[in-house]
Parts: sequence; structure tokens; C-alpha cells
Amino acid sequence: MNNDQVSSAVWFGLGLAVCLGSIHYKLGTPASPGTGFMPFLTGVAICFFSGVGLFHASFRKRQGEGWVPLIRGVRWRNALIILISLQVFALLLVPLGFFLCTILFIAFLLRAIVPQRWIVVIGCALLTATASYLIFEVWLKAQLPKGPLGI
Amino acid sequence: MDFLSNAFLGFQVAFQPANLFFCFIGVLTGTLVGVLPGLGPVAAMSLLLPTTFHVSPVSAIIMLAGIYYGAMYGGSTTSILVNIPGEAASVVTCLDGYQMARQGRAGPALGIAAFGSFIAGTLSIVGLMFIGPFLAQGALKFGPPEYFSLMILGLTILTFLASGPMWKALLMAAFGLFLSTIGMDNVSGVARLSFNIEELVDGVGLVPVVMGLFGISEVMLNVEQSMDRTIFETKIRNLLPTMKDWVASFWPMIRGTVLGFFLGVLPGGGAVISSFVSYAVEKRFSKHPERFGHGAIEGVAGPESANNAATGGAFIPLLSLGIPANAVMALLLGALIIHGIQPGPLLIKQHPALFWGTVASMYLGNMMLLVLNLPLIGVWVKLLKVPYPILFPLILLFCLIGSYSLNNSVFDVTIMIIFGLIGYLFKKFNYEAAPLILALVLGPMMENSLRQALLMANGNFFTFFQRPISATLLTAALVLLVLPLIPSFKRKTVAIE
Repeated sequence: MNNDQVSSAVWFGLGLAVCLGSIHYKLGTPASPGTGFMPFLTGVAICFFSGVGLFHASFRKRQGEGWVPLIRGVRWRNALIILISLQVFALLLVPLGFFLCTILFIAFLLRAIVPQRWIVVIGCALLTATASYLIFEVWLKAQLPKGPLGI
Repeated sequence: MDFLSNAFLGFQVAFQPANLFFCFIGVLTGTLVGVLPGLGPVAAMSLLLPTTFHVSPVSAIIMLAGIYYGAMYGGSTTSILVNIPGEAASVVTCLDGYQMARQGRAGPALGIAAFGSFIAGTLSIVGLMFIGPFLAQGALKFGPPEYFSLMILGLTILTFLASGPMWKALLMAAFGLFLSTIGMDNVSGVARLSFNIEELVDGVGLVPVVMGLFGISEVMLNVEQSMDRTIFETKIRNLLPTMKDWVASFWPMIRGTVLGFFLGVLPGGGAVISSFVSYAVEKRFSKHPERFGHGAIEGVAGPESANNAATGGAFIPLLSLGIPANAVMALLLGALIIHGIQPGPLLIKQHPALFWGTVASMYLGNMMLLVLNLPLIGVWVKLLKVPYPILFPLILLFCLIGSYSLNNSVFDVTIMIIFGLIGYLFKKFNYEAAPLILALVLGPMMENSLRQALLMANGNFFTFFQRPISATLLTAALVLLVLPLIPSFKRKTVAIE
């Protein structure tokens, strides 16, 4: 299997799921399209184009195109750390409040990806949290969540 | 007389202190995001969209438009000095701009990029003033079938121009259309595909999707790579190009402007493609094509003029037809709708202050950019020296704030994170996200047009081919779909790549 074969197979599955999911809503008739009509059409389109992709990718496979590793030679753990830290930020935003959450988020990323000196970490985290709080909460009135500190 | 009074009205609006202020903020922010690699105009506009909710629609659109054309200005700075394009439309400027910098001619390269951008930006606004109202008049003849066919053509052009196989771009467009169907059906009031999640009843938000696909995924890919960035250490002097530079750049600027403007008007075209086409044209016109890639000033003047002219052109389908030409315009369309303004052929008639005010502000914005950017180049260079390991947490934080503050909802942040991962996978598997964004925005309009057209024609799908304008648009789309299948055309495309 090469990369395009895998991705187009996944797309085909998704298209099929969309088609089946939209049948639950009424498809209606061409003269009076129902709620599920458009999602069904998009599902059919996804299936069709992924079918074309699968055919195209299989042809290239026969010509010798194989699987190209996606994460070899790169620091994929950094990308994973980013994703997890974003999710943790989302979970802690309401209980801890924007200010505290931002300090922890910035400090963590500055230490975890390319470790910076502690003075840089603390300085950047405090400066960023204060500046973004002043800009978004005070100036632009963005109503960011307030934690136990009241900010 | 009508034109003059409209232009006068536009300048009256644009010169209001609040609008001048927002224009300034827009172009400054645009230049900043253009300078900083990893944060493009789409992400910056999504970020600032929530901040415009408290201002008038005119000020909001003036600021968001400023970000767009400001980013085109700023993008050239990183291309020339660091060999890293600040945004996609400046990729081609790296080829000769960076070589000029290495030869000690960073000043003239930056100067001609700024002047070329100014001239092209200004000329494209003149085009917008003349063609916009004219096209809007014609669009009054459009019914649901014509609108549907035009949107199909727009999506097809974008997928046709996308890099990589066309089936991938078409898949992206189909997926974008699917995402647009999630949420309340406007006709029946039924919540579709929302899996009993209350927040999904309103649909998938454009801003979290854009921030995830363009902001988060970009950072994820960047942190996987080495984050060293070297800035070419050179004294930047003589920003004003010499007479010889002007002579060499004059025609490339004019050609770039014309090309950029018309490619910008086409739905699916835009700044990126116009800069590449302009470079190819200049190379072909040159008596010494071998100089290209080794510091030819024409290779900077043409593409930089083209990408700025395209920004003016891209406003035409949005403001006169209500159809966005690219992802940035899709976001502007979203902003107009959020502010309660229905884009379409009647926009110019119903909201003349908005249309003419925005156009006039673009004149002022272009002047601000010229005055700002030449003296500020030193500041931008200093900013580029901020190491990426310190910069990327800030980009992530901006994305988090932008997606949260839209509805004060953690759910939107989760959507952004999910699309960050999806965007990361898209890039790994070489899928381009732009058709998805355009389809996500056009989706509800397409669905409405399709359903209305079918209702009108009593379910007859051939109605789209029975009406002349609709048939022409669909035929053009079909031709674009079939072209890549022709072997001789395929060979030419491969040769250009």
C-alpha cells in the first residue's frame, strides 16, 4: 500500500458513512429535496473522488510507488506535545482562568520543545500573559474565563 | 458624475478618524503577519474577527481588508532577507530577492517590492471601482441556477489550480461541503449530523477550522523540523531603486498588475497563482532569462506587483456577486454575514458607504503601507531575529484566544485542536486545505441555490444547462475538470512544475 491508497481508502469509508448517516434524514425528491439531500450528495462525491484516488494510487503502486514514512527523520514528539498541551489548556481554561492558564502554557512550551533558560521562561510567560490579558480582556473586552485569582 | 460622487462618499467614510485608525491597525497587523513566517493572513483575520464585533461593519471590513493587502506587502521582507516566505504569495520572491540580498542589494529589492506593491495595489483598486458596480448590475440577472453554477465554477477553478492531483483537491472541496451541512437545516429546522452535541447545531465554525488547518498544523510541522533560522547579515541601505532598476522593473510591474488583477478576479485564482504566473511570464519576456534565480530585479518587481494586484481583483466577486474568490475572501464574507450584511449584487446599492468606503480605505491603506514600510524595514528585520522556539507559543496562544473568544466556548477550541491534527495529516498526505475552506463557506449558499433551482424546475437537473449563463459557467467548469485528462496538457503542466 502506498500513502495515497491508504488515505483514499479512509476517505471512501468516510464518504460511505456520510451517505448512510444522511439517509436517516429525509432525502426527499429532486422536486422537493429533503434535509439529508445535500449531505448525501457530498457523501457520494467523497466516495466518487476517493474511488478515483484509489484507482490512481493503485496504478502508481504498480509503477513502484510505495509507502513513504510520515514521521521518519522528524521530531514528531514535538508535534504531539503541542497537541496535548493545547488540549490541556482547553481543559484547564475555565477552572484556572485565562491568566494562570496562559502562564503555565507558555512556560511549559518554552521548556518542553527547545528548552530555554528559566529566566527567559518565567519572563516570557509573565509578559505574554499580562500583555494578552490587557489587550484582549481589558481593551477588547473579550470576556476570557476568570479563575481563582479573579483574573 | 455618479462615479465621482460615489468616490467622494468613499473618501468621506474612509477619512473618518475611527476608520483611519482601523485601516492603520489592519495594514500594520497585515504587514506583521506577512513578515512572520507561520502566521498567514487567513489565521490573522480569523484571530482578529471577534475583535471587530464591537465596531461598525465598515470599520471591521476596512481593518480585515487591510490585513490582507498588508500581508502581501510584508511577505516580501522575509523572502528577501531570510529566504523564507512570510506567506505563500511571496514564495517566488525568494528566488531572486534573496539572491539580490546576498549580492548586497537587499535595499533595492525591498524598495522595488514596496513600490511595485504600491503601484499595483493602487491600480487594482481603480479596476475594482470600475468593474465592481458593472458586474453587480449584470449579476442582478442571476437566479439560483446561475449562482449554483458560478459557485461550482469557483470551486473547480480552485481545485484546478491546486498543487498535486486534482482528485485530492476535489475531495477537499467535497469534504468542505459536507462540513457545511452539519447543523440546522434552514428549510426544515432539523439539526443534521450534530450527534446531539448542542454546539454543533449552529454548525462547524469557520474560524476554529481555519485556525486549526492553517495555524496549529503549521506550528506542528515547524516544530518537527530544525528551528534554526539565519538572517542574512547585511547593511540595508539605498532603499530607493536606481534609475536602471526602475527601467528594468517598469514593464514587469505593469504586466504583473494586469495579470494579478484578472487572476485575482477569477474565483479560485488569487495572489499565490498570480505571483507564479507573473514570474514565468517575466522569465519568458526577458532577453536574459538565465539571470532569473540569480538576482534579477524583474523577478521581484513582477510577482510582488502581481500578488498585490490580485488582492484588489479578489474583492470584485465578493463585493459584487457575494462569492468569495479565495479562502481570505471567504473569511471576509463570513465577517459581512456576522455583521448582518448580505453580500451580493445588491450590496453596492444597499450599502454604498461600505463598498465605496472600503475601496477608498484601500487607497489610503496602500499609502500608509508605503510610508510605514520603507522606514520600518529595520524593525521587521529585528522582529525576525526573535527565535522561533520563543515565537511559536505566542502563535498558539493567539489561535487559542481567537477560537475561544468567538463564542466564549471551549468547544470551539476543541474543534480547532481537532482540525489542527487533521490539517497536520492533510499536509503529511499532501492534501491542500484551501478548497475545503472555500467549500465550507460556499456550502450553505450552494445548498440553498441548488434546492431553490430544483424546486423552480420541478426536479429537473437539466435546468442548469437550459439557462444560457448557467450552462456557460458549468461548461467552463467541465472543461477544467476534463483538461487534466488530456495527455498533452498533462505534459505541459508537469514541465511548468
